[in-house]
Amino acid sequence: MSAIFPSEEWLKELESKLNSDERYNEIARNWEGDLFFFIEPEGNLKEQLTFYLDLWHGTCRKVEYKPRADAYPNPAFTLSATYNNITAILTGKMNPMTAMMTTKLKVKGSMSYMMRNVPTVLDFVRCAQEVTTEIL
Amino acid sequence: MKYFDLKMQPILKIDLTTRKAEEYRIPKQWERDFLGGASLAARILYDELTSELDPLSPEAPLLFMTGPMTGTSGPTTGRFVVCGKGPATGLWAESNIGGFWGPELRSTGYDGLWVTGRASEPVYLWLNGSRLEVRPAAHLWGMNTYHTQEKVKEEVGEKSARVCVIGQAGERQVLFASILCDHGRMAGRTGMGAVMGSKNLKAIAVHGERELPIFNLPRYKALRSEANRKLKEDNEAKVMREVGTAGAANYAEYLGAMPAKYYSRGSFPAVDEVSGAKMSETILVGRSACQGCVIACGRVVKTPKDVAKRKGPEHETMVGFGANLLNDNLESIVDLGDLCDRYGMDTISASNTIGLAFHLYEKGIVTKEVTGGLELKWGDVDAIEQLVRMIGSREGIGDLLALGSKRFGAHFGAEEDAVQVNGLEVAYHDPRGVSGMALSYATSPRGACHNQSDYFFVDWGHSREDIGIKFMDRHAQAEKSANVARHQDWRTVDNAIVMCLFANVDAEEKAALINAACGLDWTVADMMKFGERSWNLKRAINNRMGLTAQDDKLPKALLAPFPDGGSAGFVPDLEGMLFTYYEARGWDQETGKPSREKLSELGLDFAANDLWGGA
Ligand code: SF4
Repeated sequence: MSAIFPSEEWLKELESKLNSDERYNEIARNWEGDLFFFIEPEGNLKEQLTFYLDLWHGTCRKVEYKPRADAYPNPAFTLSATYNNITAILTGKMNPMTAMMTTKLKVKGSMSYMMRNVPTVLDFVRCAQEVTTEIL
Repeated sequence: MKYFDLKMQPILKIDLTTRKAEEYRIPKQWERDFLGGASLAARILYDELTSELDPLSPEAPLLFMTGPMTGTSGPTTGRFVVCGKGPATGLWAESNIGGFWGPELRSTGYDGLWVTGRASEPVYLWLNGSRLEVRPAAHLWGMNTYHTQEKVKEEVGEKSARVCVIGQAGERQVLFASILCDHGRMAGRTGMGAVMGSKNLKAIAVHGERELPIFNLPRYKALRSEANRKLKEDNEAKVMREVGTAGAANYAEYLGAMPAKYYSRGSFPAVDEVSGAKMSETILVGRSACQGCVIACGRVVKTPKDVAKRKGPEHETMVGFGANLLNDNLESIVDLGDLCDRYGMDTISASNTIGLAFHLYEKGIVTKEVTGGLELKWGDVDAIEQLVRMIGSREGIGDLLALGSKRFGAHFGAEEDAVQVNGLEVAYHDPRGVSGMALSYATSPRGACHNQSDYFFVDWGHSREDIGIKFMDRHAQAEKSANVARHQDWRTVDNAIVMCLFANVDAEEKAALINAACGLDWTVADMMKFGERSWNLKRAINNRMGLTAQDDKLPKALLAPFPDGGSAGFVPDLEGMLFTYYEARGWDQETGKPSREKLSELGLDFAANDLWGGA
């Protein structure tokens, strides 16, 4: 199974991957926190796109494609990146830690929590990469 | 091309033996070619640093240098550097320090203080504007670093004076004694505190009110506010601010890049208990910053037993007194770091040398007879604390530990077990987890240093495409060497201007700031060439003092694989890396000296003649 990124199907597929991937379930077992993801327009993406994911104890409780900005007022994390940077991460051309450390992926939220949970972040990216076979 | 148009301030040269001072004017060409900080210090001290020079003798120089942006509220530019000859290494020594002292020194009208000689009794210096006093300090001798600062401030009667000091470790010439100022800011590495102690110099208080020179102030101000604005948004800066430098402990441990049990293990399962994140969630009550810094990586903590707030540990102290000694007690690490600060000694060298004592005790080489009955069991906080105190006071086995790991190991016929390079203890970024550090440690001009090139950041993922350094696998080998050399040149620029390594200021921006401050018109390539020139100058100083290719090495422990953790089984191929590194550097494979051609290309003909002969 695979879907074109970015699309609602892709997000749904990521949700089911996160819920069925044993490695992710184990590594992320202590993670508690939802996130908003803003993809800034660039290249083939003409307008800003938003994803919402609620990640909890190694599972994904909810996703929403293009949620209203005020739908989830206090997400644990807000991540944003340009379209080209996010696709570079998803296709493995850019190391996710490089994206974080060079602020190509902007992060708002508890840095303390993020630094404690780098393995979870990296495994989340692995799952996202594995459901991505085509880019818009 | 523009010439260096900034009007730099002179250096005040003080001979403590004769108690005479004179102004030293920096030759104009040196200002342009070496700019400031550690680079300019290297040029100024080039002729002074000889192989015969005893670093603890009255003749040895001790140079406190600022950079052309120090105190100007540029991004993380509130810093200065202390340079000389390392008492433990016999090599070029430089030690970078923050706080507020450097900016205050520049406000007196001097860009540096060059101290020589030895006072006949303990003294401190009070530089108030252009007026210098040499004051008695016998009553301060034996006082810790914080009390000394308070007392000197009280005596000079100037509230805004800043004081840098040594503690008992410096007085007793512990070879890794440090110099401290303000809220625990430390010139930790290379034993500059011992050199200060050898001169009977307890403290230097400074106060000034002069405007700091900037060549093009309006342009500099615009660049500075944009750089500081970006810095506030930078992810790494946010991590440093929120969790401190020890915030990366979990990630480093996950990679198997954080050594445990004196570099014998690649994992430390208790890392969650002794990390920057844990500190933030439990005892952190505030943050502290060096002058003008928008990051504020300094930790202010209050443990349940504390009556007052105090400094919390940064990464090296956290790992050195934590994983390195199998200690998972965060509060004890706060205590041990604080104790080292009060004695005035480097926490990396102290914890590393103590780690060696534990290691040799486990091997049965160091025994209870030698330790004075002290049992050295891994993780035993009381034993660690006692050793710190014994070093600071040079009592019992502390007198031997005060010589650093190389000499301590050699005393027991176990020099090979000491995890050091050329007499400087290895920091806590293990090259088995981040291979670039193999070259950083082996080729650093001051011994095993992580600040001449903090290449672990690149290996963690922080590529530097602005200077042509793409991300490479953290276990890549010889193909990485040219990148490490380039990264060293880049960091040499920072150590000259003196900018903190934690500031992500990109290359174009940095060159623009330098140009506005100094009246130059450098491109990024010019700036990198400058870094390369200074790197080679420091190499030439060391070559003249006897350093050869054989000294570019790593200790045995770092060339044996970790049995566990995220880097288990990997060993850096140092020989292969050095070969390509020398190629990239234009250094002679046999002697390790920069080639004559390379030195000439960099405008270092005087060094070429010294190293290779000729007029
Ligand atoms: S980041 Fe930390 S060490 Fe660097 S200048 Fe700022 S406060 Fe000082």
